[in-house]
Amino acid sequence: MTAIFKREFLSYFRSPVGYVAIAIFSFLSGFLFYSQFSTGGVNLSSEINSLRNFFVIIIPIITMGLFAEDKKRGTEVLYYTTPVNLFSVVMGKFLAAVALFAVMFSNVFIHMIVTKACDGAVGVGVWGSVIVYFFMAFMFISIGILASAVTDSQIIAAIFCFIMILVIQLIDTISTYFGNAVTALLGNFGLNSEKAASVGSKLAEGLSWLDPFDKTQDFRFGVFSVSALMFCLSVAVVFLYLAFRVLEKKRWSQG
Amino acid sequence: MIEINNLVKHYGDKKAVNGISFTVNDDEVLGFLGPNGAGKSTTMNIITGYLSSTSGTVKVNGHDILEEPELAKRDIGYLPELPPLYLDMTVLEYLNFICDVKGVKKSERKEHLAKVISMVKITDVADRLIGNLSKGYKQRVGIAQAIVGDPKILILDEPTVGLDPNQILEIRKLIKTLAKSHSVIISSHILSEIQAVADRVVIINKGKVAAIDTISDLSKRLSGSSKLLLSFKGPVKEVCSKIHSVPGVVNVSQRISDGDIHEIELTIDNNSASDVRASIFFAMAKSGWPILEFRSLDPSLEEIFLSITSKG
Repeated sequence: MTAIFKREFLSYFRSPVGYVAIAIFSFLSGFLFYSQFSTGGVNLSSEINSLRNFFVIIIPIITMGLFAEDKKRGTEVLYYTTPVNLFSVVMGKFLAAVALFAVMFSNVFIHMIVTKACDGAVGVGVWGSVIVYFFMAFMFISIGILASAVTDSQIIAAIFCFIMILVIQLIDTISTYFGNAVTALLGNFGLNSEKAASVGSKLAEGLSWLDPFDKTQDFRFGVFSVSALMFCLSVAVVFLYLAFRVLEKKRWSQG
Repeated sequence: MIEINNLVKHYGDKKAVNGISFTVNDDEVLGFLGPNGAGKSTTMNIITGYLSSTSGTVKVNGHDILEEPELAKRDIGYLPELPPLYLDMTVLEYLNFICDVKGVKKSERKEHLAKVISMVKITDVADRLIGNLSKGYKQRVGIAQAIVGDPKILILDEPTVGLDPNQILEIRKLIKTLAKSHSVIISSHILSEIQAVADRVVIINKGKVAAIDTISDLSKRLSGSSKLLLSFKGPVKEVCSKIHSVPGVVNVSQRISDGDIHEIELTIDNNSASDVRASIFFAMAKSGWPILEFRSLDPSLEEIFLSITSKG
């Protein structure tokens, strides 16, 4: 696993990918920090939470090549024909992407130091936001890894990952629309409107339960919830396992 | 030692491999010969664990490739048709990575890599990016990757394809060196390629084994008749009839004519007592028709299959 981790992490810096990701992140976080700083009211929690909106751009960039590139270049043969375990390959790549994320995030630590130096507050809520940020990154990176494992085209992997993250970010809105649509549909089929509305709202509620942003929104006030973190972690584990199965299945394919 | 037993691989309705069985002994070079699409690469991919078989077993030194994959894979070094190279790494970085993946101990690594690098002669390019190397060097790095970790068995899928004649000779020489201490399976669709390095040949066609034989037995089986090409200056019709009358010549057919230079193809009965070539030379010389070129024609794979299958 360490061999794969090392190779993948360093390969980010052998190509423009690592630099581009870091540059985008530095620009965005720097811009957010500066705009707060210049008004005199620094709120690091809100900076970090705003940065989550850019997962949808940064995660596809850093995950799209992880497996797709190997498949295209034929280097995936190494994972199947050497004694290395396929799951440790998946984990190695996952950790490499997480490590790149940590490097990018060091910008925010610099902002913390600056804030502290200017007698600003870096409270428990900020650390809560940092924890949430990383757990969400785990989740979205594992989604990106699955996207990269199912195709040998980086572009398709990036688009697939982009759409998945977009859907999760908009899940609150989507669930409302979904609930309304179900209500309308049931109403058309002649169900009485009260019942239809309650079914619709129950479904919307169920769907919005999946919203990780809603689950973790109290962290920034310093209210931590283990179950929310477990939710993110579970999603990450499920997607990593799916990626592993997809790669393993290739060997058995009859197509 | 590799035992391959009744291997079958389906791709949808298509049977890429259909009941292949053979054994590779220790320290033997086994040539794996067949036309494009015969199932060579598929078979090799199954042996190395890259693909699974639909049915049948592969045992590497007694370990089943599916049941004890880690033990079996430890003994195999594989060079696929497309060498699995990371173009963004230097040769040394890449081989270090392969050492990591194959679990070569840190303490032995330096010595081991030095040995591998000098064996495949890539010392000069060890610090260069793989992406910047020529095709011949890339192929060598691919072979280096296969022999890292000292596997007992090497599986090389068309190792000389796309190389220039000099590079082909060098790779052949390298394979011969490796064969002293390894079992080698080498695939190709060119007979002479296999003849140059292999002890034994497995010929496959349409997913089935057409023949398993030693090189010398195979050439005996093929030697019933052979073909010669003769290019000369002179009257075609007379030359043809003259040569046809030479004992041992079974058939004469005209190939190309360019002005008064002609090319004909002769089918020779190899069981004839005298050397037909000498008789032809003297017959031509006596009539004053100069020979411009005179050489034997290698049988094509199709002819080999025909001759093997027709003679059972």
